[in-house]
Amino acid sequence: MKVLLIEDEKTLAYEVEAFLKKAFYICDMAHTARKGLEMLGVNPYDFVLLDLGLPDQDGLKVLQEAKKLNPDAAYIILTARGNIEDRIVGLDLGADDYLPKPFSLLELQSRMQAISRRKFNLNTQEIPLGEFIIDLQKRIVSHQSNEIDLTRKEFDLLSYLLLHKNRVLTRMQLSEHIWGTFADDDYDSNYIDVHIKNIRKKLGAFGQVEWLETVRGVGYKIRK
Amino acid sequence: MKLISKLTLFITLSKLAIVLLFVLTLPYLIGEIARNYTDYYLQQQQKKVLEVVARNGVDSYLQGEESYGSYTMLKEEYISLEPVEKGFVLDTIYTDERIIEQDTLNYRVLTHSFLTENGTYLMEVGKTIETIDQYKRPLQRIATYVLLGLILITLIIDLFYTRYLLRPLDRIIRTKISNRKFPFNENSVPIKTTTTDFRFLDDSLINLMEQIHEAFEKEREFTANASHELMTPIGILQNKIENLMGEPDVSDFVQERLIGMQKTLNRLKRIVHSLLLISRIENEQFSKKEFIPVADLIADVMDEISHRLSERDISLKIDISNEVILENINRDLLFQMIYNLVNNAIRYNKQSGFIHITDRINPDGTYDLDLIDSGIGIPQEDIGTIFNRFKKANQSEDSAGYGLGLSIVKSIADYHKITISISSEISKGTTFTISFPAEVIRS
Repeated sequence: MKVLLIEDEKTLAYEVEAFLKKAFYICDMAHTARKGLEMLGVNPYDFVLLDLGLPDQDGLKVLQEAKKLNPDAAYIILTARGNIEDRIVGLDLGADDYLPKPFSLLELQSRMQAISRRKFNLNTQEIPLGEFIIDLQKRIVSHQSNEIDLTRKEFDLLSYLLLHKNRVLTRMQLSEHIWGTFADDDYDSNYIDVHIKNIRKKLGAFGQVEWLETVRGVGYKIRK
Repeated sequence: MKLISKLTLFITLSKLAIVLLFVLTLPYLIGEIARNYTDYYLQQQQKKVLEVVARNGVDSYLQGEESYGSYTMLKEEYISLEPVEKGFVLDTIYTDERIIEQDTLNYRVLTHSFLTENGTYLMEVGKTIETIDQYKRPLQRIATYVLLGLILITLIIDLFYTRYLLRPLDRIIRTKISNRKFPFNENSVPIKTTTTDFRFLDDSLINLMEQIHEAFEKEREFTANASHELMTPIGILQNKIENLMGEPDVSDFVQERLIGMQKTLNRLKRIVHSLLLISRIENEQFSKKEFIPVADLIADVMDEISHRLSERDISLKIDISNEVILENINRDLLFQMIYNLVNNAIRYNKQSGFIHITDRINPDGTYDLDLIDSGIGIPQEDIGTIFNRFKKANQSEDSAGYGLGLSIVKSIADYHKITISISSEISKGTTFTISFPAEVIRS
């Protein structure tokens, strides 16, 4: 997967690049709109991560032009502006998703994965996990022919851990993903633990759940 | 009392007082004028008599008699001449009673002694003042009527004129003061007036409001810019930490430190987010065209937050109408407002406490939502300031929150013209009453 990152804040761009490279994406960078459009003109990309606050051109205009140059790419808007209007205009212009700054790299990755799944209608919608099968599209966890009833939050938690498998996620990262801006400061409280306990209990009734590991003092991960 | 009423009242009372004084002093004034006139008349008569005496001699009057006396038919005037001793000098005017043919009458009498070839004579000319006294009462009465009538007419004129005169003031109060809402961002049109005082007042007000608006604008702009400027470095730091945590050779010790950094950074992120949200609300960047049934709103909030209730074993009782629908509101903002309040009710609650949500529809069409908790309560002296930024209800070390939750609540409430009142008892609990104005209630 080829990604073009158009972002004028260089330090931020390098961090995103480093993360994406580790997640096996091929990442190109442009720090100005002009450079970005130039690169879009010559290379095909699967993803374009576009910062709206570029110094040389309005981000939304860049999006319009970029869409003409490379209509097949998935566009994710990154912005610190965060206006609802901008978000609506951005999505209307054909952006696939919208991430307000500051964003978590994990969140960026799961959004990109979600777009990939939608875009290519992958057969991997059903992801096997131990003895279980998780259907991210239909939001169903099943064991053989049994459907396991999880709450919305429990499913979100499980799928987020699954999308970032083999990586330890802190309680804070998990609660931020699930509760978004409403996530509170009480990270030490055990409500993520309560949800994990419930997931283990519900799934444990059907089969082994060793793949869901507790990492002491840090958080949780799914080993696969 | 309004200025126009005060002015009219004062003008009327002062006019009445002056008229009363005039009517009361009228008899004296009339008497004075009449006496002056009578005196002048008597002097004229004296002059005439003396002229006749000088021309024809005193005998033309006496006709051989010792003395002379004559009065008109109705005894209004009389004249008399009588001889007096030589050397007798008298020249005066006075008021006196005279008995003429059994009638006692008040006369104004001029006496004057003069010398003739026949010796010294004393002349008396008299004019009755009974007739003058007779005029006094009716005159007083008529004057009273006329003046009262005049007062009435001037009162009406005054009323219209003062009203016209004070109209700019009234307009200033109506458009510039009573209906204005902070931060006064609508443009002020100068009020038309030729009265310099009002001109000055209006100009000063416009100036003042502009200054307030400018200061507010600057603060808002600063908050927005600062928030945006802060977001980028926070984002960089967050991503750096995340990348570092993903490194395989990071030891547990370092991992723990990184988590600590992430927490602090997240706190910073939330503060900046909150400031930005407040500045956006104050800048009216949110539309208010949505509607939501209150029951749904509460249910949405509970959906997000119920995990925290079970965590602290807090019981929840929701006892609200299913019919009330809020309209002309922003759902996300109201959600955030209720969320923050319920969140506080949980955070500052006792272990195994309760939260009770009730409502009532008031006869005037407004709607109140009560949020009752069994928490630690808010000290009376803090109730006025808990909506201030960075003010925490409980200053203890372990309490979380950074004092912006209630500021957000306040700005959302203000934005929707919702008022929130608080009653609280220490270690018993707090009740937040959220009063929705009639215009956001769908009827």
